[in-house]
Amino acid sequence: MGTLTRAIRNVSRRKARTLLVVIALGFSMAIMISIPPGIVANQVSTQGLTENYNDMLTSMQEEINKTATLIECSTSSGQGTPSGPPTGGPQGMPPFGSQQETVFVNVTVVDEIRSIAGVKEIVEFLETSSNETTSETISSPRGEFTVSRPIYTITGVSLNSYFINNYSILPTEITSGRNLQEADSRVVLLSSNLTSYLGLGVGDQIDIYGESFTVVGIFEPTSQGRFETRIVYMNISDAQVVTGNMGNVSRLDVYADNASDVDGIADVIEATYTDLYVTTYRERLASLEGMQQRYTEMLDNAQATIAQTQSTATQVIIIAVAATSLIVLFVMLYTVRERTKEIGTLKAIGFSNWNVMSQFMLEGILISLIAGVVGIAIGSVAAPTLTSLLLPRISMFGTQRSFPGTMDPGTTVSQAVTTTLDPQWMLLAFGIAVFLGSLGSLYPAWRASRTSPMEALKYE
Amino acid sequence: MSELILKTEELGKVFRLGGRSIRALSDVGLQIRKGDFISIMGPSGSGKTTLLNMLGCLDKPTKGKVIFDGADVTKVSEKDLYKIRRHKVGFVFQTFNLMPYLSAIENVELPMEGTKKSRDEKKQRARELLKLVGLAEREDHRPHRLSAGEQQRVAVARALANNPSIVLADEPTGNLDAKTKYEVVRLLGKLNTEQRTTIVMVTHDSQIAAHAGRMLFLNDGKLLAKEKQGTHLAKDALKCSNCGRETQPEDTFCPRCGKKL
Repeated sequence: MGTLTRAIRNVSRRKARTLLVVIALGFSMAIMISIPPGIVANQVSTQGLTENYNDMLTSMQEEINKTATLIECSTSSGQGTPSGPPTGGPQGMPPFGSQQETVFVNVTVVDEIRSIAGVKEIVEFLETSSNETTSETISSPRGEFTVSRPIYTITGVSLNSYFINNYSILPTEITSGRNLQEADSRVVLLSSNLTSYLGLGVGDQIDIYGESFTVVGIFEPTSQGRFETRIVYMNISDAQVVTGNMGNVSRLDVYADNASDVDGIADVIEATYTDLYVTTYRERLASLEGMQQRYTEMLDNAQATIAQTQSTATQVIIIAVAATSLIVLFVMLYTVRERTKEIGTLKAIGFSNWNVMSQFMLEGILISLIAGVVGIAIGSVAAPTLTSLLLPRISMFGTQRSFPGTMDPGTTVSQAVTTTLDPQWMLLAFGIAVFLGSLGSLYPAWRASRTSPMEALKYE
Repeated sequence: MSELILKTEELGKVFRLGGRSIRALSDVGLQIRKGDFISIMGPSGSGKTTLLNMLGCLDKPTKGKVIFDGADVTKVSEKDLYKIRRHKVGFVFQTFNLMPYLSAIENVELPMEGTKKSRDEKKQRARELLKLVGLAEREDHRPHRLSAGEQQRVAVARALANNPSIVLADEPTGNLDAKTKYEVVRLLGKLNTEQRTTIVMVTHDSQIAAHAGRMLFLNDGKLLAKEKQGTHLAKDALKCSNCGRETQPEDTFCPRCGKKL
């Protein structure tokens, strides 16, 4: 009959008390094993977000820098946002869901602008919506609503090899087939989301405004906002023919000879053609800076949330640790008090102070061990719940890489952290729980060992 | 004359209670020899239990000496007194004080914890003692499944576990009914006669006290000069008064003639 056997008997004979202590300690331990991985997940998430934003801003800055001599002229106010790629992209389209009618300018305007001093090149685009629309349900923090939007956007591009080679007028990420080439006719390049939507592939035919076109390639759209734009690229002359806009364009990318000419040219265009919305490098840069500021604020918020998370987590862990020790302390103190007469008897029949102390210490450690196992079980099952309950959520954009031209700034997503329990940390937390249990039972055990046998025997 | 086991010299104990001093023992001089069966009698509050606690090294006197096997134990530090309690003293309490979570045999093994005996030796010794007190068949029973008398017999076996120099019994029959208390006192008598166990028993029951060899009287903390020779009824009680047949402590009737014992 060893000390351990007696400790096991004592722990097991007070089942309700042991169970309560084990559950309380188990939860404390579950908190200890759940929170740190939660913090790590938050940190990783924010770090990833920061890197994505930084990459995006850098690439946008590079794009804008490349286009120092570009003056964008469009027929709709949505045009000219510093969205990449800054030329030839579909970002100039009015926001989906608000089917604005596209306004066009005649190519005679192009010739007039070309005659302005300092103008080097003009790249023409024709952007318009498909004649068919579709109803789609959109979820947002403000609720669900149904919108009617065109199935796709047609972007007619001047397929001139000089333009193709020197300006970013076509998408670059071709996932299947080939890109458009000079003199391509009756062929189209589709965005992957459109081919998925229509169930088409390279070599298939697509009907546009009643005319049949061959799909020669599929590209990955760079814009993945809440409303994903489905795009068809084709030769501008084909686009003008099928949409009945012969001689019309909807956007002009005017390139100056020198960056110093840009402001003067922009002023002349704005004064002469009041229907055109003109944006220059400086405006795009200013817009980018505004966006940078917004992103910085968001990242600061995310960092603040992380700091708050860590602070909360530290407090929670301290409380859990203190609670663990205090629970064991009070339960063992109560046990010692309850078993005073037993302690007196043990000392009277020859138990040393150490014998008595080790008996009570062992009982405390035993309870902590059981609680440790229960804690791991609770932690394994309930870690995500505990983490989401105890840690603040990080507010961030819904997607990791979103271009602002298609992103609703009001759309943020509260992302619950994904907790992955670390076996090493679980083992450490188990050790901590047992250590705290031992610590909590140290004083009661010491008190028990110091009890006067005579006084203890009188205790009723 | 037998060897002197325990001696007290001018033993005194004063308790301090709320600023008042209460004299529990005063100049008690006592000699206990090997094989003695002494009962100490006295009214409540006379200092019987206090004296027993001093003899058993559970408490220290405020005056005088307790000399155990020639050594003054009052000079032994509190943390080392357990060695004397473990090896030289066996306690029997009024309320038995068995561990409810241990079986009879485990309770008897308990004082042997920390001794050099092997597990088997402890078990064997505990079995022998349970057999001695007539509870060989009940070794696996926990206290709640034993009668009061049986529990006290387990407590007696436990007191003998380390073959102590002296067994100190504090009101060992106080919680027992009329029939059972004689069983227990007869058991103590048997141990005294057959094993030469030295026993000091505190009681306020004169009939029980009369079973001892010597009867001492304590009043107001002082040992009275008068000392009575006990009838040593316990010794005789082991034999049937009708046919003279040796009986066991647990026997209520004589196994030979059937006379009520």
